Amino acid sequence: MPDALLHAATLLACVAGMGWLALAMDVHARQAWGRALAPGAARLLRVLGGTALVVGLLLALAADHASMAVLVWVMALAGAALAVAFALAWRPRWLRWLAPWIGVAVRTPAASAASSRRRSSGPA
Amino acid sequence: MSATSIRSRHPRLQLAARVGAGVVGGYVFAWGFIAAGMALMSKAGMEFHDAEFVASALGLLLWLAVLLGVVAGRRNPAWAWLGLLGGGALLAALGSFVQSTMA
Amino acid sequence: MFQNFRQAMAWLHTWFGLVLGFVLMAAFFFGALSVFDREIDRWALPATRFEPQPMPSFERVLRPAFERLQPDPALVEAMRPRVDGPMPERFDRIAYWSAYTTHRDPVLAIYAGWEVPGARDPDEQLYALGTIDPRDGSALRDDQLKIGSGFFYPMHYSLTVDWKNLGFWIVGLAAMAMLAALVSGVVMHRRLFRELFTFRPDRARLRSVLDLHNLTGVVALPFHFFFAFTGLLIFASTYYFPVGHTQLHDLHELHEKHEAAALGLPHGRSGVPAGLANVDAMVAEAQRRWEARGMAGDVGFLVLQHVGDANGYVSVYRAGTDRIALVGQGIHFKADTGELLREDPPATPAARVAEFLTGLHLQHFRHWLLRWLYVLGGLSGAACIATGFLFFVEKRKRQHAARGSQGARIVDALAVAAVTGMVLATLGILVANRVLPEDLAGRGDWERWAFWGTWLASLVHAAWRSAPVARGLPNPAWREQAWAIALLAVAAPVLNWITTGDHLLRTLGQGYWPVAGVDLSLLAAAMIAGSVAVRLGRKARAAAAAAALRETAAGQGEAVHA
Repeated sequence: MPDALLHAATLLACVAGMGWLALAMDVHARQAWGRALAPGAARLLRVLGGTALVVGLLLALAADHASMAVLVWVMALAGAALAVAFALAWRPRWLRWLAPWIGVAVRTPAASAASSRRRSSGPA
Repeated sequence: MSATSIRSRHPRLQLAARVGAGVVGGYVFAWGFIAAGMALMSKAGMEFHDAEFVASALGLLLWLAVLLGVVAGRRNPAWAWLGLLGGGALLAALGSFVQSTMA
Repeated sequence: MFQNFRQAMAWLHTWFGLVLGFVLMAAFFFGALSVFDREIDRWALPATRFEPQPMPSFERVLRPAFERLQPDPALVEAMRPRVDGPMPERFDRIAYWSAYTTHRDPVLAIYAGWEVPGARDPDEQLYALGTIDPRDGSALRDDQLKIGSGFFYPMHYSLTVDWKNLGFWIVGLAAMAMLAALVSGVVMHRRLFRELFTFRPDRARLRSVLDLHNLTGVVALPFHFFFAFTGLLIFASTYYFPVGHTQLHDLHELHEKHEAAALGLPHGRSGVPAGLANVDAMVAEAQRRWEARGMAGDVGFLVLQHVGDANGYVSVYRAGTDRIALVGQGIHFKADTGELLREDPPATPAARVAEFLTGLHLQHFRHWLLRWLYVLGGLSGAACIATGFLFFVEKRKRQHAARGSQGARIVDALAVAAVTGMVLATLGILVANRVLPEDLAGRGDWERWAFWGTWLASLVHAAWRSAPVARGLPNPAWREQAWAIALLAVAAPVLNWITTGDHLLRTLGQGYWPVAGVDLSLLAAAMIAGSVAVRLGRKARAAAAAAALRETAAGQGEAVHA
C-alpha cells in the first residue's frame, strides 16, 4: 500500500479515535447530541476510541521505519485532538457522523430554555 | 526557626533568593553531576561521547527538578544555595579526581 | 513560602513564562519556519531554484572546488597575532575537506579547515566555506543571506546574537523555563484529561483565551517537552555544560587517542606527504557495502582528513533520509591507497538514543507529513505562549485600570510586538529580499536591518496605541498590525512574481514545491490575518456603539433629572 495512503489512514484513525474519546465524555456528548449518553454507549465509544488510536499506531508502523512512525503517531494525536476540539467549538454536530447509531435528543421547549440558560451562565 | 522573621519582612527578597538558588545553584549542581557522571561512566568503560550524552541528559533533567523543588521549598533558601553550590563543587571535584586516575 | 506546591508552581509558571515567554515565542515560531528552511532559501535566492542534487563526484566536481578554497583574508589577519612566524601565502596543510548534503539541497556547501604552521594553540585552525552547484562544480555567490537556513534557523536557537554566545544562553534559559512551565502547567491544570478537548470561543474572553492556552499546551505536550529538552541537549556539550572541553579536557584527549589506536584511524598528521587515491571508487565501495547490509542509500556526508599526508583518511557517511539519525554507517578508507580502514560498528544503545533524540529535533529525514506536523506543533507552541500573554493581560487589565497601574498596558504592548510584530518582521525581511537591488553591497546586512527595523517599528506602534489598555480596553494595535500582516503577506508573493517571474501558476504547474509552498503559505497567512483583523474590527465597532449608547442613555437620564 503506498505510503501516502497509509499516512492518510493513520490520520483518519487518530481523528476518529480522538473524536470517539471526546464523545464518550458527557459535556461533549451534550454538545453533539444535546444529551448525555447511557453508560453503556459511552463505554463503547471509549473502547472504539482507544482501539482506533492503537490502529493508528499500527498503520504508522506499516508505513515507516519505527523511529519515525512513533513520531508521526504522537504528532497525529496532537493534530487530531486539535481538530476535534475545534469541531466541538464551532461545528459540534459534525461529530455525530462518528456514531450514527446514537439518536439525537428531542428538543422540547423546556429543554431548549434550560440549555440556553446553561450556556449563558457564569464561568465554569 | 529564627529565619521566619526575615521571611515575613522581605518576601520579595526571599523569593529572589529562592529563584537564584534554583537557577544558579541548580546549574552548578548539574555541572558537578555531569562532570562526575562523565568521569565515572568513562572509567567504567563507556565510550566518552556516550557518557557525555547520558550525563548531560540526566544533568538537564536534574537542573529542572532542582529548580522546581527549590522554588516550592519551605526552608530558608540559604540552605539551598549552600547545598547546591557545595554539592556541585564536590561532585565536580570527584569528576576531576576520577579523571586523574585514568592514564 | 508558598502555601502549597500548586501555588508555588502557579507563581513559577506565570513569572518564568512572562519573563522568558517572548524569547520562547521566537524559538517556537522560527523553529516552525526552520522545518522548511531550505525551501525558504530557494525563495530568497532565485539563482538556486533547481532540483535537489545527490552528492556529486569527488574527482570531477568536488576536488577542483575544494582546491579553490582558501581562508578569508580577514580571518587570516585576525589570527596573525596568535601565530609565531609569518602566515603562509597559500594554506596547504589541510586539516579537512568536507561536504554535507540532504535530500532537500540543490546547492552544496563545502567546508575546509587548515592547520596554521607556528600557531601557539595547535588546535586553532583557519576555516573557509564555499557554495557550489553540484551539477558542474561552479562556485555560487557566498555573500547572499540564506534567509531560511542562515537567518531564521539561527534565530530560533540563538536570536542571531553571537557575541560571547549570549543568544545561545538566553534561548537556553528560555528552554529551561519552558520545561519548568510545562511541568508547572500540568501541576496547575487539575482537569487535564477531562478538559482535553475543551475550547469555548463563545464564552468571555478570559475563559476562551485560557481554554486555547490549555488546549495548545496539552495536545502537543510531548512535542513541546521533547523539543525544548532535545534543543538543550544538542547544545549541552558545546555551550551549556562544556565539561569535556574544560574540566575534563584531558579525558577527552585520552579518548581520542584510544579510539585512534583501537580503530586504526590516525589521530594527527604524520608529516610524510602522500597522494590521494580515487575517492569516487571509495564512495562506490561504501555504497556497495551499505547495500550488502540491506540499507542502500545516498551519501550524506563526505570528509577527507589530513589531505596530502600519509595519515590522511576518507570517511563516507550514509544520509539518514529514511530514518531519524542524521547520518550513519560511516565507512573509512586510507586516503593514499583507498584500502578499507574500518566500517563503523552498529551504534551502542546510548549512541542510538542520542541519534534518536538529536535526529528527531534536527529532522534531515524525508517525510513531508511529519514535517508539516512539526510545523503544526511549533505553531501550537507559539500559540500557547501568545495566549499565555493574552491571559495575563486580560486578567489584570481591569484591576490595573481600577488602580491606575500601567502594568497590563506594558505587557500588552510587548505581547503585540511578540506576536504580530514577529510575523511582520518575518514578512519584512522577505519583502526586502525581493525589493533590494541584486548587486547591493552588503545586501544581507540590509535585509537583517529590514527585519529588526520592522520589529522595532511594531513595538513602537504597539506602545503608542496602547493607552486604552490602561482603561481596561483592548489595544487597537492588534487589529492594525493584523491588517499590516495581511498586506505584506500578499505583497511578498506578488513581488516574487514581479522580480523572478515565478508566479504560482508557473511553480505549481512545474511542481516546484519549495517556491510554490512558500507563496501558498504566505497567502494563507494573509487570509488568516485578514479574517482576524475583520473580526477584531467588528468587535471594536460593536464596543464603540455600545459605549456611545450608554453615554446617550446617561445624557438623557441627566436631562430628565435636571
